Amino acid sequence: MLRKPYDEKAKDISGVFFKKLVSKIPDLIFQLSLSPNGELSSPFFNKAVIQYFELSRNELRNFDLSQRIIEDDFLELLHSLQNLPDNTTVWCHEFRAFLPTKGLRWFKAAANVEVDQFSYTSLFGRLSDITEEKQREIELKISEERFQFAMEASSNGVWDIDMVTDKVFYSAQSMKMLELEAMDIVDGHARWDDLIHPDDLAEYQNQFQLHLDNKIPFYENAKRMLTKSGNYKWILSRGKIIKRDENGNALRIIGTDIDITHQKEEEKKLVQSLQIIGEQNSRLLNFAHIVSHNLNSHTGNFKMLLDLIDEENDEQTTKEVLGYLRTSSNALNQTIEHLKELVDINTQMVHKKENLNLNMYLNKVLDILNNDISKNKVKIFNKIPKECYIDFNPSYLESILLNFTTNAIKYSHPERVPEIMYNHYLENGKVVLEIQDNGLGIDLARHGDKLFGMYKTFHKNENARGIGLFITKNQIESMGGSVTVDSKTNKGTTFKIYFNNEI
Amino acid sequence: MKFNDVFVVDDDKVFHFIIKKLLMNNGIDVNPAFFENGLLAIERLKKKLENGESTPDLILLDINMPILDGWQFLEEFKRIKNKLEKDIIIYIVSSSDDKADKSKAKTFEDEVKNYYLKPMTAEDLRTIFAV
Repeated sequence: MLRKPYDEKAKDISGVFFKKLVSKIPDLIFQLSLSPNGELSSPFFNKAVIQYFELSRNELRNFDLSQRIIEDDFLELLHSLQNLPDNTTVWCHEFRAFLPTKGLRWFKAAANVEVDQFSYTSLFGRLSDITEEKQREIELKISEERFQFAMEASSNGVWDIDMVTDKVFYSAQSMKMLELEAMDIVDGHARWDDLIHPDDLAEYQNQFQLHLDNKIPFYENAKRMLTKSGNYKWILSRGKIIKRDENGNALRIIGTDIDITHQKEEEKKLVQSLQIIGEQNSRLLNFAHIVSHNLNSHTGNFKMLLDLIDEENDEQTTKEVLGYLRTSSNALNQTIEHLKELVDINTQMVHKKENLNLNMYLNKVLDILNNDISKNKVKIFNKIPKECYIDFNPSYLESILLNFTTNAIKYSHPERVPEIMYNHYLENGKVVLEIQDNGLGIDLARHGDKLFGMYKTFHKNENARGIGLFITKNQIESMGGSVTVDSKTNKGTTFKIYFNNEI
Repeated sequence: MKFNDVFVVDDDKVFHFIIKKLLMNNGIDVNPAFFENGLLAIERLKKKLENGESTPDLILLDINMPILDGWQFLEEFKRIKNKLEKDIIIYIVSSSDDKADKSKAKTFEDEVKNYYLKPMTAEDLRTIFAV
């Protein structure tokens, strides 16, 4: 049986004792009471509350909590109390109060709830000043919002890999870069790695591993990644392990993605421009040497022949020398013609380009060479699609096709039926025209470096003039294209013409 | 020095005629063999070695020629040089005033004695043949 805890006097004493005790506690202790009709009163606040809320004696007399509490917050507080769910035992609420010297502060009230037999609700609890906590929360929110905004405004993507579970988060921007929607699930970063260009994978993995092994402070790698539409984009990723276990194993790594495709393309263009300028420069230098050498050789002949006439007076020699003077003069004329042609190609700043049907031009050239083709029983394989267009100078295109085709016929192998195959395809986004023959072929190891030089002939063929390929190369390059050769002696030759048509 | 056997390797037939005339006019009693490119010349040289015939004493060599140019001829020549019973004196005679060609000629200092720029004069020939 329970003993009666204390008599009435003892209860009084203990009441006084508790009041004294409570008044000494630095915590803000309060009691609130809510009548059944919703009226709020505050039967008790400890001294700490009075001091904290900076209440004067005057204010204390008819103390009303709402004096200090921001009006909207007080209404909300009241509403919360009036609508306490049945059987609630704990009540928590945050509100703002404006204090005379402390200014605006945030408070949290936490109290136990009791309802007596007359339906009066009593709340006993404490208040805490949570201003600093709130401040931090607000600052964090602002900073998060700022970060979010920065992420959305910038083109950078963010990723976060949990190395333990292999769970990965990719920001919307990271997804957008690869043209992925939020619903395209990328589960695990291995799936992401599958999108990396095979040529760039090893370097990426190497960098990543170096950072995992703590050999580099962060990882940085530019790589090509496959987008949803099947194109590659250059993505610069930077990452840093932000959490390792006691053995140094990576637990979590966070990083960014930047789409640098545009920079890479510009870089490529710059390199190409430099290359073109370099090539032009060396062509000009080469040209200067050609002019010097070729003119020198003719004028030298003139001088030597004229010296001979000076030395000898007999009619026979003079006649002979005159014949050679004529030969030299003709050769000089031809050289000057070639040089003029080269000057035209190399000095014209703007070459007229037109959208040309490649097949049509090829057929035109094949028509011109019809006699040679049938005489030599040449088999022509034209694999160029009917609707293939390139931007090029019309007369250059004709000249180029004519020259390559003539060469293929001229240097056909005497022991087999000559075949010439014309092919068309894309290589790294460039239109390629491939002209392949089964002719004599060229010893590239021996002649490769000067195949396209002026006055170089490599075959024991009397018709070889050694100017065609030189002119052809100049024409192609002046249109921003390039030409390569692959050949094997006695097997045949393949020329590849790259047109400067971006697809 | 007396040169009995001379090769002139040059694709320019006008130059062949001029050399013939210059030699005659300057009383140089030599009847050179003319070749239009390096390949023809090196093949003849190889054949002479095979047949045990006497090789030339002197070669006038052009640089810019079709099929096998002067440099390629010199490369081939280097390979068969040790089979020769007597040295062959080689002069480059070219229209190229290019520094690159002149310095390249120096890389063949064991083979090439001098570099003559065309037009070739009677004086040049007299110096070469020491008349």
